[in-house]
Amino acid sequence: MEITLDELANGSKAEIVTIKAIGEIRRRLLDMGVVKGTRFKVLRVAPLGDPIEIHIKGFNLSLRKEEAKTIYVKKIGEIGDGKPMNRFCRKRRGFHGGK
Amino acid sequence: MGENKTITVALAGNPNSGKTSLFNELVSGNQKVGNWSGVTIEKYEGTIKHKDYIIKVVDLPGTYSLTAYSPEELLARHFLIEDKPDVVINVVDGTNIERNMYLTSQLMELESNIIVALNMFDEVEKSGNKIDIKLLQRLIGSHVIPTSAVKKTGINSLLDHVVRVYEGEIVIAKNKLSYSDRIEGEIEKIKDVLELQRELKDCYVPRWLAVKLLENDQEVYKLVKEYPVWTRVERILLDLIDALEKEDSDDAEIMITEDRNAFIRGALHETVIYAESKKKTLTEWIDSVIINRFLGLPIFLFIMWSVFQFTFTLGEAPMGWIESMFDYISGIAVIVIPEGILQSIIVDAVISGVGGVIVFLPNILLLFIALSFLEATGYMARAAFVVDKIMHKVGLHGKSFLPMITGFGCSIPAMMATRTLKNKGDRLVTMMIIPFMSCGAKLPVYVLLISAFFKPSIAGNVLFGIYLFGIAVAILSAKLLKSTLFKGESEPFVMELPPYRLPTLKSILIQSKHKAEMYLKKAGTIILAASILIWVASNYPFSESIETKYSQEISIVKQEQLLNEEAKQFKVNALELAQASKQLEYSFSGRAGKLIEPLIRPLGFDWRTGIAIITGLAAKEVVVSTLGTIYSMGEVNEESVDLATKLQDDPNFTAATAMSLMIFVLLYIPCLASIAVFKQEAGSWKWIGIYSAYAMSVAWIASFGVYRISLLLGFGN
Repeated sequence: MEITLDELANGSKAEIVTIKAIGEIRRRLLDMGVVKGTRFKVLRVAPLGDPIEIHIKGFNLSLRKEEAKTIYVKKIGEIGDGKPMNRFCRKRRGFHGGK
Repeated sequence: MGENKTITVALAGNPNSGKTSLFNELVSGNQKVGNWSGVTIEKYEGTIKHKDYIIKVVDLPGTYSLTAYSPEELLARHFLIEDKPDVVINVVDGTNIERNMYLTSQLMELESNIIVALNMFDEVEKSGNKIDIKLLQRLIGSHVIPTSAVKKTGINSLLDHVVRVYEGEIVIAKNKLSYSDRIEGEIEKIKDVLELQRELKDCYVPRWLAVKLLENDQEVYKLVKEYPVWTRVERILLDLIDALEKEDSDDAEIMITEDRNAFIRGALHETVIYAESKKKTLTEWIDSVIINRFLGLPIFLFIMWSVFQFTFTLGEAPMGWIESMFDYISGIAVIVIPEGILQSIIVDAVISGVGGVIVFLPNILLLFIALSFLEATGYMARAAFVVDKIMHKVGLHGKSFLPMITGFGCSIPAMMATRTLKNKGDRLVTMMIIPFMSCGAKLPVYVLLISAFFKPSIAGNVLFGIYLFGIAVAILSAKLLKSTLFKGESEPFVMELPPYRLPTLKSILIQSKHKAEMYLKKAGTIILAASILIWVASNYPFSESIETKYSQEISIVKQEQLLNEEAKQFKVNALELAQASKQLEYSFSGRAGKLIEPLIRPLGFDWRTGIAIITGLAAKEVVVSTLGTIYSMGEVNEESVDLATKLQDDPNFTAATAMSLMIFVLLYIPCLASIAVFKQEAGSWKWIGIYSAYAMSVAWIASFGVYRISLLLGFGN
């Protein structure tokens, strides 16, 4: 099921499917490693409810919900997604790298 | 061979990769700071002698990529392409190789001589991650040197490699970053066409141009459009867009980025073994407290308050010293230089002008020490994260908050602090609303007027109300400016929250020192010129008849037999004050005050207030001293009364006038010192013009409204 990044709860893990943002925002996201197939974890929401912070490619990235709405993701790490995060993957590539 | 050859080295890397610390270690104390031409981005340069070579290191602005969107990236790119440095040191944060390598992949395409400095290697070793450096070298086609700016390791090896690469002694076969077949095909096609154009082939890397064209890079489009080959290139690009659209697949820009990421992932998959670690990192621990849901905001406010206290409370004492030092100097000048124009210009214009500049130095230094500390530790990004929602509501970036708060102390360091904002529109709007945050110099004006016209029981509320009014005007102005003049120009909030790190004292001091120097150099000259100008306007033309009239009266008083010495002195002083105020009335400032009277009449001001408003351009405290001079007129025989009482006694000056004047002083053009800094930061007179017109109109309208409402409420008598 495809949802957008802003709909994810704190602590959930997901994988990026597509980015619908355009222009500078899209370029920024791409440059920061927000590309198709990358896995990430939602860390927290700012005290006032926006922006949000995610852990991606080994660093922490914050982005506004407005921007998160343009990023389509699919949840991982749940029963039935067919892609368990096994220990081997994690060890070799970091949790984001496995496929 | 090689007798004192000069090697130019550019330092490129991500923000927070430890690039600046490494730079400081490399050139150890021999750096100089300037600005890149045309932009207010600082340029750090330094030279070192290594063996028989002089190595000139240029620290490029920290960037994540080399796109055409941000001025920093364009600047780094232009330097790499146009200035062709002999060697490029790519600083890669070893603890975050994957994202840092994205820039490396772009540098590879520019075909410069790259050396990768795998920085923070001490932390890599501590974390237990293993990196196969030999293999990594082969994969990215350049040397990889483990370094640590903190532990000062690898610096010499890095310099050795710079020399050896420069001399061509060691060469690692350059590796090409290859894209998927589809993209490679297109790159080849475009490259072949571009190579037909000699100018492009000679000055640029055609393959890089091709990649950038596919990435829809506006700067490269502009470049290629200048040449006849463009028509052929354009056809290839349009055909590709059509084809991709028909297939309903991603565009070339995304495909290229994905391929780059895939290349990096592949390279790291083969070279890095991550240690399994379940332990929470220090950064995670700190963040779980410092930006958590409940504590995040209080901690943020506390830190802002601390910065404010640090800057202004700690700055108070040295400011006092500087003031008394300048008082002392003018005291000496009065004795040494004979009375007359020369004495007046040196004491009242030059010494007080220079003093007025230097007096802000403690504030500027302290604020920038605090700011560099917050920036270097990593909290600054968190502060923006915590407060962004509020700032976003008025169309600004979270990073605008701190400069605005600083504005309550002094607009000058506040405007200089807007440099953390990367987007020009955001920066200009922030700078334009900073003066509405009532600064410390405006306080004496409020104190005078409130004590004269309001009961002590409500004095505090009135003062608080004025501050709130300023904040409200700032918020409304931000909204207005963002939806008109600066529409759509906003920095996207896609920001790294870097790991917490303890900064080195050295880099903090270097940065703060640079800010102070910049202020003294640029702002200082303008302020000095302006204070001389205001001095001239307040002293010329000089009326001989007023001078003669009062000298006569004074000499009469001095000869009177009936008065004792004390009474004589009192009368002489009163006459001298009256003379000064008559001369001020006769001068350009006085005439200007009268000239603008029709304009400020609707606000409840007469020409005397007009003069105060004009001289108040120099600095807001001057409003009080000017009113003091001008209201000292014609009271030779009365008991000495303070200015507040004199204002109360003036039938034209009511509580409504006081309210109106306080609002006007709050909102109209700030002191010349901050205008000078505004010019320096905004870079053009055009913005000064727009800003001045805006501030004056807002001040006029607000004062008019406040005055009329106060009259209706019965404050007019």
